Amino acid sequence: MASDYLTFEKVTKAFGPVLVVSESTLAIARYSLVVFLGPSGCGKTTLMRMAGGLDTPTSGTIRLDGEAVAGPDRRRGMVFQSYSSFPWLTVEGNIAFGMRYRNDLNAAQRAERVNHYLKLIGLEDFAKSFPNRISGGMRQRVAIARSLAAGSDVLLMDEPFGALDALTRERLQVELRQIQAEERKTIIFVTHDVEEAVFLADRIILFSARPARVLRDINVATVLGASRTLAARESQEFFKLRNEILHLIRNEAGVVK
Amino acid sequence: MIRELFTFRGRATARTEILIGVMMAMAVLFLWEAVARAGFVAPQFLPSPSQVLVALWTMVTTQHLLWHAAISSLRVWVAFLLAAAMAIPIGILMSSYRIVGASLEPIIDFIRYLPVPALVPLSIIWFGVGEETKIFLLWLGTFFQLVLLVADDMRRVPHEYVEIAFTLGAKPRQVLTDVAFRAMGPSLVDNLRITLGWCWTYLVIAEIVAADSGLGFVIWSARRYVKTPEVMAGVVVIGLIGLLTDQILRAMHRRMFRYM
Repeated sequence: MASDYLTFEKVTKAFGPVLVVSESTLAIARYSLVVFLGPSGCGKTTLMRMAGGLDTPTSGTIRLDGEAVAGPDRRRGMVFQSYSSFPWLTVEGNIAFGMRYRNDLNAAQRAERVNHYLKLIGLEDFAKSFPNRISGGMRQRVAIARSLAAGSDVLLMDEPFGALDALTRERLQVELRQIQAEERKTIIFVTHDVEEAVFLADRIILFSARPARVLRDINVATVLGASRTLAARESQEFFKLRNEILHLIRNEAGVVK
Repeated sequence: MIRELFTFRGRATARTEILIGVMMAMAVLFLWEAVARAGFVAPQFLPSPSQVLVALWTMVTTQHLLWHAAISSLRVWVAFLLAAAMAIPIGILMSSYRIVGASLEPIIDFIRYLPVPALVPLSIIWFGVGEETKIFLLWLGTFFQLVLLVADDMRRVPHEYVEIAFTLGAKPRQVLTDVAFRAMGPSLVDNLRITLGWCWTYLVIAEIVAADSGLGFVIWSARRYVKTPEVMAGVVVIGLIGLLTDQILRAMHRRMFRYM
């Protein structure tokens, strides 16, 4: 397992005079789920977007497998919080769209992959449904499946469960861990929800307020292990880690105790 | 159920609403007929609905009204399709590439505010009084409005869709055709429907000033002889064509964008 699969070398980003990301250096291991945690508007999303090639660093380099990121491509897929699935395509149409720009697959392989991912996200019965007929949680599953079908090695997820109700959210968090284990993907997951971060992450990168600097690098996998069931959410270790992180954030923000 | 109709933010079934609409229209027609027959107003100012209906029938049977209606429709559609065929690609490019948008927006914004009737003399100097003038005036009235509406539809396509397509390996052209164009579809068709309605406004102006055929010509000639029932019949025909076209386009919209 290469520990420097996705690397950020002294990455800085400024939008005009506003410094958003300041000299962030980071190495992300292949097949790990890394959560970018930080206050809203701190620049963590910008850092992730640069990994996707959707924003360009003002200075510094991002590399995937040694190769500098120069723009968006199929290897790094995005999952957004809203407008995540195409409303004019059915569930299976959305998944198939992921393979639209691949010419290494024939019709039979495409159909087979659509079925595979439909099954993976448990939406076989909704294959012909349009996104407006399914729940918000299902739409996020479709977006994940579409990226997987495209053959992304890295999933970049920008608060993907932010608009979901608490129960659906919890369920999708469990499913995401399962999907990641089965499909062997590297995931960067941006959130400002501390519990979500602790439950999902192999590793949490805690960012400061803007401009984003790496405040703390927390290895969650050694504390909570690799498999996360809902029981893990109720464990002592989970709460201890959650509280520690909350304290770190409060101290950083200068909130009175 | 009746009570519900008078409740603040109450609901009604589609059937009830149609029934109410038809009843109201009948009531207005009845009132109009009654006022006209009572003789309060001279018939050359307000002929009764039944007189208008009789005039309509005479015009259809003896004055080729349907032929005039067909000519007018043809002019509207030719000009509208021409305007749409130009406005859609140009509008899309204006919102996709700043070089196109920045260079065209000021010019289009300027021309858009020129009132079409003010350009009639110029148009006659350029094109004479033939079909070209009419098509040109209709095109003028719709193209410059439509191109900005299309540009706006394109601008409102969520950026997420575009970025998703890029991270799935699409090239800019493919993002434009496979994603942005699809995403703007519903609002584009809506705007086309609205602009088609404007075409009829300009048609009447064009046919009044420079035509010997079409519904505008029919209305204007009837006015010359104070044949008020015929004037009204002509207007009614335009209204009916508009209503019918709009309903057809709405039905198409529902079929095309079932996913909404």
